[in-house]
Amino acid sequence: MLEIAIIVAAIAIGSGIALLAGGLVGIGEGYAAGKAVEAMARQPEMEGQIRTTMILGQAVSESGAIYSLAVVLLLIFTVVLPLVNRLLELL
Amino acid sequence: MEAEVLFYIHSFPISKPLLFTWIIMAAVSVACFLLTRDLKKVPRGAQHFLELAVDGIENLVVGNMGPEGKKFVPLILTIAVYVGISNIIGVIPGASSPTENLNTTLTLASIVFLVGHWAAIKKKGLWTWFKGFFEPYFFMFPINIAGEISQVISHAFRLYGNVFGGGILLSIIYMVAPYVLPTPLLGWFGIFSGIIQTAVFTLLAVVYIQVKIS
Repeated sequence: MLEIAIIVAAIAIGSGIALLAGGLVGIGEGYAAGKAVEAMARQPEMEGQIRTTMILGQAVSESGAIYSLAVVLLLIFTVVLPLVNRLLELL
Repeated sequence: MEAEVLFYIHSFPISKPLLFTWIIMAAVSVACFLLTRDLKKVPRGAQHFLELAVDGIENLVVGNMGPEGKKFVPLILTIAVYVGISNIIGVIPGASSPTENLNTTLTLASIVFLVGHWAAIKKKGLWTWFKGFFEPYFFMFPINIAGEISQVISHAFRLYGNVFGGGILLSIIYMVAPYVLPTPLLGWFGIFSGIIQTAVFTLLAVVYIQVKIS
């Protein structure tokens, strides 16, 4: 029983650490958006193209956070929930 | 992460995403039939909206791929309309977005992947297309294959992760504060984020096809 509890706790901590990627991606995307605003202020006539390129770049750099989210969801839904159910049965 | 099965037709399970996909299909079909029944040279009423949508997607596709991309406009427009409506339908109480399920987004991403490669083979010929996997050096082959696979996965997971993550956050908020507070968050995750993710999914579909055929 203690082993299962340790596994669940370790996965919870690991999931939290994995989601730090979200924060880092947030920094990157904010930087990209800021640069896009600068470019738009300098050349307002290019606004549409700059916005498209900005969204595309942000979407691609978001992949890292999406991968970590996918890993966390997989861990929680396929490993933790069955373990927690078993733990509750044991109790 | 399996979808919840609502009922069975004979032995065929009907899950929630499938049911709402059918509802969206029916709604879009009826809307298309009603909107395109009598098109005028000078647009009036709902035809403005229709022309705005078709023109917008056509400008996006042709602007990215050039005139040869015109044949992809129906596909891209279909993806945009389907993903857009299925993201926004989650705002309705009791309804759930089909895009909340990984199978839906993975199917859409696979369609884009297959169409891109089919168009590349058709344009460049089988041999040139196959040789493209060995660029710039022949030992880069495994890396190129991994890149192709991870492209489908990241394309699918981006939409799924955003919609599903928003859904999880909302359900937690519902548990903590069931009144008033969820409303602005529903607007944010359901409508604003849904529209942004639709734009991103469509734009990436266009870019992925364009990269493969160029």
